[in-house]
Amino acid sequence: MTTLITKTVSKACVPIIILFSISLLFAGHDYPGGGFIGGVMFASAISLLYVVFGLKYIDSIYSYQWDKWFASGLLLASLTGFGAMLFGYNFLRSSYLLASLPLAGDIKLLSTTLFDIGVYLVVIGSLLYVFKGTGEDE
Amino acid sequence: MDSMQHVPIILVALPMVFAAITVLFRSKSGLQKALNIGVFAGLFVMSFSLLLDVWNNGIIVYEVGEWGKYGILLVADLLGAGMVVLSSLISLMAMIYATDYMDRKALDATFFPLFNLMAAGLNGIFLTGDIFNMFVFFEVLVLSSCGLIVLTGRGDHTKMADKLEAIFKYLILNMVSIILMLVAIASLYATVGTLNMADIAVKIAYLAETGTLPWHIHVIAMMLIVVFGYKAALFPLHFWLADVHPSAPAPIHAMLSGMVIKVGVYGILRVHYLIFHESMFMLQPVLILLSLVTITVGATSAVGQYDLKRLLAYSSVSQIGYVLLGVGMGTAYALTAAMVYLVNHAIAKSMLFLATGETLYHAGTKDIRKMGGLVQSAPFLSIIFLIGAMSIAGLPPTGGFFAKLVLFDAGLGAEYYIPIGIALVFAIFTLFYLFRTWLSIFWGEVKEHDKEDAFKTRNPTIAIKISLALLACVVIFLGIYPEPLIVLSSTIAEQLLDPQPYIAAVLERSVR
Repeated sequence: MTTLITKTVSKACVPIIILFSISLLFAGHDYPGGGFIGGVMFASAISLLYVVFGLKYIDSIYSYQWDKWFASGLLLASLTGFGAMLFGYNFLRSSYLLASLPLAGDIKLLSTTLFDIGVYLVVIGSLLYVFKGTGEDE
Repeated sequence: MDSMQHVPIILVALPMVFAAITVLFRSKSGLQKALNIGVFAGLFVMSFSLLLDVWNNGIIVYEVGEWGKYGILLVADLLGAGMVVLSSLISLMAMIYATDYMDRKALDATFFPLFNLMAAGLNGIFLTGDIFNMFVFFEVLVLSSCGLIVLTGRGDHTKMADKLEAIFKYLILNMVSIILMLVAIASLYATVGTLNMADIAVKIAYLAETGTLPWHIHVIAMMLIVVFGYKAALFPLHFWLADVHPSAPAPIHAMLSGMVIKVGVYGILRVHYLIFHESMFMLQPVLILLSLVTITVGATSAVGQYDLKRLLAYSSVSQIGYVLLGVGMGTAYALTAAMVYLVNHAIAKSMLFLATGETLYHAGTKDIRKMGGLVQSAPFLSIIFLIGAMSIAGLPPTGGFFAKLVLFDAGLGAEYYIPIGIALVFAIFTLFYLFRTWLSIFWGEVKEHDKEDAFKTRNPTIAIKISLALLACVVIFLGIYPEPLIVLSSTIAEQLLDPQPYIAAVLERSVR
């Protein structure tokens, strides 16, 4: 798979896929998207890199510990649930804040976004951990 | 009171948080052990306070996310809270035991996160009020227990190839059963349009009253019997247990045989007694028949085994038959008996498995014929094993005596003479195979003289002794003073037969 054409195309594509996956992540709840779909897309972008450039080359640049991503995602998602208790509400109760930020304009800041980011990290971490683990296996 | 309100969700969510934390701090072994024992001790205390709270103030309903009338609920009634206390007790003891028993490599890799997820799955199953969430927690439980079975401990003489074969069976068969559960839940949802168990119960009762109960409700009830019967290792579905459970390391074996197969019994008690009243008239005879076959097959298979772990696994199959016999008879007294039996078997069996793991390590083999005279080198283990065997066989002064007494009394009271007769005959089988095993392991001549020096270095450590001794105390306590357990069980049985308070607590609550 490591031809010049695939390398060049994937170098161009991977940042776009990652940006699209992040936009999918934040589009969730109101439009199609959310943590799971965004995470799968991010994982597919990184696995494209693994396939095209090879595990060893990617690891020589930076060795990602995907299990840490998985764990921090799970932690973030569950702590979002506990966060609602601090304010005297039930577990996972969501709330939002209407804010007008410079450049972005009026947007809704949802507490469930944190939960979605947690799901995003869990999906990325678990898929790539399995992918890398089976890839390393001789 | 305000902080007590969140206890049901904390029991489910706290192990999940710690599953994540233990992945992040994998390398620090000492910290991990202390942290996890602390967490499980905390969960046990919280579950106990939840049970007291439910006992004093009635059923607690917790709305996750405060979504209003259609949200996801956790319902802690006496049955659910009681099962959570039982599972927290056993998982605390298994955790204390495992910190010294499991290999360092297993502890550093995946043991702690998966054990936490398993506890979260168990607590979730017992506390959820939503049948689809029950399905989700079944998945959590199955996947985490798969990962735990392949880990190795010090008394573990199972080859990795055998473990992987066992996992393959467990995973594939579980997926089949869980897809069956999904189909059943989907058909139920298509019929009544809700997934909340109390709401389903009300709607099905209404359909039955107006005489428009669709026939496929009975089919759904039978499909769910298959699913839960598979979990509980009911007769035609028991074949996987004797391969899978003995492959697991001792603490996981104790969890699987102590708690995870009880999940099937809990499922029948919760779902069928709440929702499928109308189908029980045809399911009860089937349950009684199958549980009798389970008792027979389990006990006769156990008599022929020389592999200690397999023998005890077949014994679990046989004992779960007694619990389901009580469930099948279905009178208030029989359900009380089933609950008492369930609790006693869970505690005694998990203690026996923990003791077995240590005995196998001490003896260096898993073949009963090669062991003998261990009472000299391991007096502590022999006492613990004896107490466990006495409780399973039903001898006083252990809890198992009252479990069998109440069960047989309930059966005779409800005029099930032939089933009780069969159960009694195979109770004698249980006595025979457990005491034959105990005698051949701990009494008689020391068989392998060349290994005697090795025995001295293979003694149980303090943590293992503590967990075994505490469980033994519980077993003896249940035998000497069974009154609280029997009163609790009979109240649970009344609530199961009259689910109106449960339905009222769930449906007639104030919504934001």
